[in-house]
Amino acid sequence: MKKLITLLTAALVMAALAVPVSAQEEARIHLIHGIPDTPVDVVAGGDVVFGDFQFGDTQDLSALAGQTLVGLQVRLAGTETVAIDAGDTALPASGNYTIVAHLNAEGVPTLAVFENDTSSIDAGEGRLIVRHTAQAPAVDVKANGAVAFADLTNPNSVQADLPVGTISAEVVPADADEPVVIGPVDLPIEDGSALIVYAVGSLDAGSVTALTESITGLGTAPTAVNTGNSPVGTSVPVWAAGLGALLLVAVVAGRRSVVEVRS
Amino acid sequence: MIRRLLPALLLVLAACGGIATEESAVPNSNDRPGLSTTTPTVQTLGEDSVGEPAVDEDAVSEIAERTRPLGSALLSPLPAPASQPIGLVVESLGISSAPIIDVGVESNGEMEIPGATEIGWYRFGPTPGDPGSAVLAAHIAFNGRDGVFRDLDEIEVGAIVEVAYEDGSSKRFRVTEIAQYAKDELPVGRVFAKEGTPELTLITCGGDFNRSLRSYSNNVVAVAEPIDD
Repeated sequence: MKKLITLLTAALVMAALAVPVSAQEEARIHLIHGIPDTPVDVVAGGDVVFGDFQFGDTQDLSALAGQTLVGLQVRLAGTETVAIDAGDTALPASGNYTIVAHLNAEGVPTLAVFENDTSSIDAGEGRLIVRHTAQAPAVDVKANGAVAFADLTNPNSVQADLPVGTISAEVVPADADEPVVIGPVDLPIEDGSALIVYAVGSLDAGSVTALTESITGLGTAPTAVNTGNSPVGTSVPVWAAGLGALLLVAVVAGRRSVVEVRS
Repeated sequence: MIRRLLPALLLVLAACGGIATEESAVPNSNDRPGLSTTTPTVQTLGEDSVGEPAVDEDAVSEIAERTRPLGSALLSPLPAPASQPIGLVVESLGISSAPIIDVGVESNGEMEIPGATEIGWYRFGPTPGDPGSAVLAAHIAFNGRDGVFRDLDEIEVGAIVEVAYEDGSSKRFRVTEIAQYAKDELPVGRVFAKEGTPELTLITCGGDFNRSLRSYSNNVVAVAEPIDD
């Protein structure tokens, strides 16, 4: 039986590695380390796949899309201590995902998989996505002083498309103004980009903070450029008349020959 | 989407014995209209069945090789915004100092264009000189008045275009490409590209003027590249 498991496991991994390139190109999978003060090793099949992965770091797993990570574990760096035992984990073959190693509401390390909304964003807007992945109770997220997202709990995600600009964000306990859990922090809302903000850390340990991730290229270009509603005249361009006297003198001087002919 | 992967895996894993599939089901915590809540799921397959994972060593090293670090996700202070363009000089067209204002989009999705005397810079795209295509558009003629870009169709490859910025600096560009497109064939993906080679794209109208539609048939597009100086 053990031999059979070994064969099947190896077959699974090899089959997974044979995923067509086209499928991999469609996928974008990031892994974010969202547990403060806890360097880890990421282990698959009993071996360290990447080690000494630090809080706040991001690893691109896109090339592994469609594969199954056998016996996926997150261990405290340099030790055999398993922080997260995820077991065999099938990565999506396509789509846009972020996997976050984080603390659940009770403070236990776990993995959350979020599918990122990459639908197109109207011109002049950006997408703000906020995810509660901290050991903390329900929170409200304030934008420029007003509650934008209410009663967000771990491990959930809320989002909105907002006009381009900078917003000052604060995370506070649900239905309360204090104490401020995160912020205020300035967040850039950029045209055609999704900004994903993760609340991470432990409220009990005083380590709650924010991590960010962004996805660009979701924008919508203007549909047309209409720059004329009347026929072209024959005079010196009138825009010159709208400028200051000094400029006007300069323009007239520069076009003296034209002016003379017309006068 | 992960669900599509499940049936095949379940079939294989079923041969191994027990299957444990965990899914965190969290109720929708936000029913406010306009805001959506997604529930993440962690798929854990065959957790109990693979006591001693045994994997092809090459496969593991390949996994290691194919992941790559992307740096830190820690919050960093916002970079200072690029200085906005405020003026344009195109000596070969007699444009000695035309004011630039920042513009966005109209409710119908078209680029917003200022009056006859000003040039519009598309503020949702790059600043001239930054990666991508910075767009400056102006009328050829508007409400019976000739516009700033009346003569844009006469610009030549090699012409120098100078942009003045709010911070007092300026940057010169050299025209590398001139084209006319039927209005509905304007390559908006390229014209409004946010990434790639830094380009300055000047746009106005041209071709035939249709008096009943009060509209021109074409767009005149001149592309310029920054000059290092």
